[in-house]
Amino acid sequence: MSSLTQRQRMSRLDVKISPYLYIAPFFILFALVGLFPLLYTFVVSLFDWHLLKGQGDFVGLANFTAILEDRFFWNSIFNTFSIFLLSAIPQLIAALVIAAVLDANIRAKTFWRMAVLLPYVVTPVAVSIIFSNLFGDDYGLINNLLQNFGLDPVAWHRDTFASHFAIATMVNWRWTGYNALILLAAMQAVPRELHESAAIDGAGAVRRFMSITIPSIRPTMIFVIITATIGGLQIFAEPRLFDPATAGGVGGSHRQFQTTVLYLWEMAFFRQNFGEAAAIAWLLFLIIVVIGFINFMLTRRIATGESAGPRRMFLRRRRRPREKQADKTLTTPGTIAEDVKL
Amino acid sequence: MSIRSAQSIRSAQSIRSAQSIRTAPEQHEDVAAPVNAPHEPYAPETTTPRRRRRGGLGIDRRPGWFVYAILGVVLFGSAYPFWWSFVIGSRDNQALGSAWPPLIPGGNFWSNAAQVFDAIPFWQALANSLIVSSVITISVVTFATLAGYAFAKLRFRGRNGLMVAVIATMAIPTQLGIIPLFILMRQWGWTGELGAVIVPTLVTAFGVFFMRQYLVDVIPDELIEAARVDGANMITTFLNVGLPAARPAMAILGLFTFMTAWTDYLWPMLVLPNNPTLQVALGQLQSGYYVDFSIVLTGAILSTLPLLVLFLIAGKQLISGIMQGAVKG
Amino acid sequence: MKISRGTTAAVVAGAAAFALIATGCSSEAGADGEDIELTITTFGTFGYDDLYAQYEEENPGITINATNIDTGGNARTDAFTKLAAGSGLSDIVAVEEGWLGAIQEVSDQFVDLRDFGADDIKDRWVDWKLAQATDADGRIIGYGTDIGPTGLCYNGQLFEAAGMPSDREAVAELFGGDDATWERYFELGKQYYDATGKAWFDHSGFVWNSIVNQLDEGYYTADGELNVEGNAELKEAFLELSEAAQYGLSADQAAWDWGGGKAFVDGTFATFVCPGWMLGVVQGQVEAGGGDASTGWDFADVFPGGAGNWGGAFLTVPTTSDHQEEAAKLAAWLTAPEQQVAQFEAAGTFPSTLEAQEELAANPEPNEFFNDAPVGSILASRAEGVVAQFKGPDDSLIQENVFGPALRSIDEGTKNGEEAWDEAISLLNELVEQ
Repeated sequence: MSSLTQRQRMSRLDVKISPYLYIAPFFILFALVGLFPLLYTFVVSLFDWHLLKGQGDFVGLANFTAILEDRFFWNSIFNTFSIFLLSAIPQLIAALVIAAVLDANIRAKTFWRMAVLLPYVVTPVAVSIIFSNLFGDDYGLINNLLQNFGLDPVAWHRDTFASHFAIATMVNWRWTGYNALILLAAMQAVPRELHESAAIDGAGAVRRFMSITIPSIRPTMIFVIITATIGGLQIFAEPRLFDPATAGGVGGSHRQFQTTVLYLWEMAFFRQNFGEAAAIAWLLFLIIVVIGFINFMLTRRIATGESAGPRRMFLRRRRRPREKQADKTLTTPGTIAEDVKL
Repeated sequence: MSIRSAQSIRSAQSIRSAQSIRTAPEQHEDVAAPVNAPHEPYAPETTTPRRRRRGGLGIDRRPGWFVYAILGVVLFGSAYPFWWSFVIGSRDNQALGSAWPPLIPGGNFWSNAAQVFDAIPFWQALANSLIVSSVITISVVTFATLAGYAFAKLRFRGRNGLMVAVIATMAIPTQLGIIPLFILMRQWGWTGELGAVIVPTLVTAFGVFFMRQYLVDVIPDELIEAARVDGANMITTFLNVGLPAARPAMAILGLFTFMTAWTDYLWPMLVLPNNPTLQVALGQLQSGYYVDFSIVLTGAILSTLPLLVLFLIAGKQLISGIMQGAVKG
Repeated sequence: MKISRGTTAAVVAGAAAFALIATGCSSEAGADGEDIELTITTFGTFGYDDLYAQYEEENPGITINATNIDTGGNARTDAFTKLAAGSGLSDIVAVEEGWLGAIQEVSDQFVDLRDFGADDIKDRWVDWKLAQATDADGRIIGYGTDIGPTGLCYNGQLFEAAGMPSDREAVAELFGGDDATWERYFELGKQYYDATGKAWFDHSGFVWNSIVNQLDEGYYTADGELNVEGNAELKEAFLELSEAAQYGLSADQAAWDWGGGKAFVDGTFATFVCPGWMLGVVQGQVEAGGGDASTGWDFADVFPGGAGNWGGAFLTVPTTSDHQEEAAKLAAWLTAPEQQVAQFEAAGTFPSTLEAQEELAANPEPNEFFNDAPVGSILASRAEGVVAQFKGPDDSLIQENVFGPALRSIDEGTKNGEEAWDEAISLLNELVEQ
């Protein structure tokens, strides 16, 4: 009798403690290696802090106000958002299409799937050479083609929008396959029964994709959208590779494609103003959180708007009456939309 | 999703769990997917071979030329730069100058490769990269799966708040963090040790978030409850229910983690200057009278070969994992 | 499924085990207590590898553990991160002239090499190189490796086509020999432009760097005061350059890209500013652009405005080093004349010591790529009469981020000289703390 209670007690303890044990490694590691940099950067942002000479006077929020009044900061925010919008939206659509194609019953699956990851492993040196060959203002392949057709060449580096487009192309090239594979993994976990019952109902491939696949991979879609947002707003490598001429990190002859992280880099490592650079980092962090929130709200609206209907529609006819059990002690079903209130 | 998990669990050792699934009461109106596949009027035995089973519905038909056309375009775009690196790496610097990018490899690859092996401690650097990337990958996949499973499927106080915290850590720009992190590594006396590269990325928010989102719909709660009702403790439940369902996502996460660790340059350069990983060692190739890009690209290709091997392993794992889970009993 | 998992695990485990064995073997080598391991960080083209081996052979008990970072930019990030973090630098750190000014701001974090015999060997170097490495308190914080004496690269074929002499000596004469001026350079450029309709130089930024580097005082006065706004000499030079660029002399090329080198090959411009280390860059670019020696590039012993230096590096020993004496000894050895000659042969970096320069001048080897120009002796000649100019902490920032965009405006034709100068001044006020 008592041993049974003991067991029950252990079991209850197991249920209580285990979740925390499972998530502990992340938080312990973050406490060890993530927290200190975070606090350090925050402290730095409150001081006059020269990168090499070190800490100076306490200035309160002066670094933040200086940055908020800095036209280059706002320019970098504009560029970041412009490049982000030009890359994120086409990228997600393309990734979805590619994932859907890879999800089809194609031959040589492994080959195709891994091929889309190749851009990720090409060395930055090669990326730089290839894209400057492609988007060169005077000798680039694209401008050559345009001129062959009697069109005007595009000032890929000089023009703000054109440079954003070129950089977005680099970003898309590198990350679309990556996102496609993530989406593919989720698509493959969609039960075939859903597709089958829809097919019985006469739904075609496109219809099934729209009303079954997409709603079913909603959590992974949210993941891809949020990580693409965070990554997109921190974009750094591509604008840096795009123009080898701007050694000082200005991103284009007149900062026409200097993103916020690139500006942060210039501030810290070229202007050696560690204090203001730390302020930029924090401001960018806040902006990303806000955008992430907006993003999430939008995604939730769209996703829930779509999902409740069609998926059930196909299933309704198959559903038998179910007994409702109030046993929720162990788990609750959840999607991020219901659970995470960002 | 329920099906594949139900089968996964049956394919796992625990027969008891499997039985309990069949007898498990259905609940949760809002879990869309039906759990008990065998009861479906049209669903044949799950052991039936796949092709036959779906034949009539046409959802597994081989796609037409149009799909292959899309794939071909995607393949060209994504693979050509890689191929180009190899082509230039097998020629010489002047190959860069041709009016149209060259398509066919030249004959210099082995002599260029010999120069690479001559210029850098290739095998030592390769060993370092293998250790670093493997340890990071194993650790990230293990801990991210555990944490993702907990966030997705277990109930505990503060779950939502903690999940948001995980996601928020991704929004911190890392470019400045290298300075305090370096200070930390010096304090611990780790600079120069592989640990300095490994430890900061032993678990990533990206991984936790990814696994959470993947697992949240893939594992039906009934399975977990069934296992629990059956008397399995938490970790056994995870091993029997969570892990099999997570396998394809683990393969993807492992692949991405390995690639990221493998191609990292800045941080290993800072903390491991004298015991370099492969990417850092390749910097040596730029130290001649002028930069010979054919050698640089040969080095890049050589450093990427292990990743291609990994692609094959992970690709198989990804596909077999999904197929097994989704189809076979 | 089980099989795949097993395979993956086995492969990973096998790889890790193999890797562990490999590192285990190699790390035992330096375990002997008496041995001293010296770490050194260089970047880009240094060509030291054989010298390390030689030094280790000649000095038993010393192991050199060297790192070469791919680019100067990454080396700068590396050095600055470690300075900001307060530790972690190698025993010897190579510093490029471009960021020496910033390093001088924290010169107390580097060993005064006079403590380790710098006074005995300081006559080795050209005086201005030594002066650059000496901080405000007279401490010598670095031994000069290479320098960048600047000569004129020109394309003989293009000169010929424009009815100009193409022979090296005649070209030197044409530009004015020892009395060559920028005025003359621009004048010839206009003649060339009138005759061919093509540009004279690749872009204004490099020309501007050369002009500024020649002044007694550049962006800073000798006392270290920022001296740009209201600097009549500087502004006059700026307007002269912008007038020439507006005439059509600038090809408005992107530096370090040059259309993948094609602009070097197709006759887009006929002259190019060439510090010693740039010769390798030119050759690489010409080859990458599909050209070769027959493209016509040559190297003349003349430079507008007289002698000038651009670039070069120093070996420094941070105070955090545990082996300062041995590190200083190695740095001194690596920068000694004999080794500098070897370095020139390996990597084409021109020596900063007089003896090494004399040797290269006495035994000039024709450089096939540059129409058999005796590069060594030309550079030695170009190194004479360079003035040491004080480089302030924000020198490279002013060069790249203040004047860079302003000159680009001129090249692009969006601003005239006065407007571009105003742009530079406003950028200066925004970017540089004064």
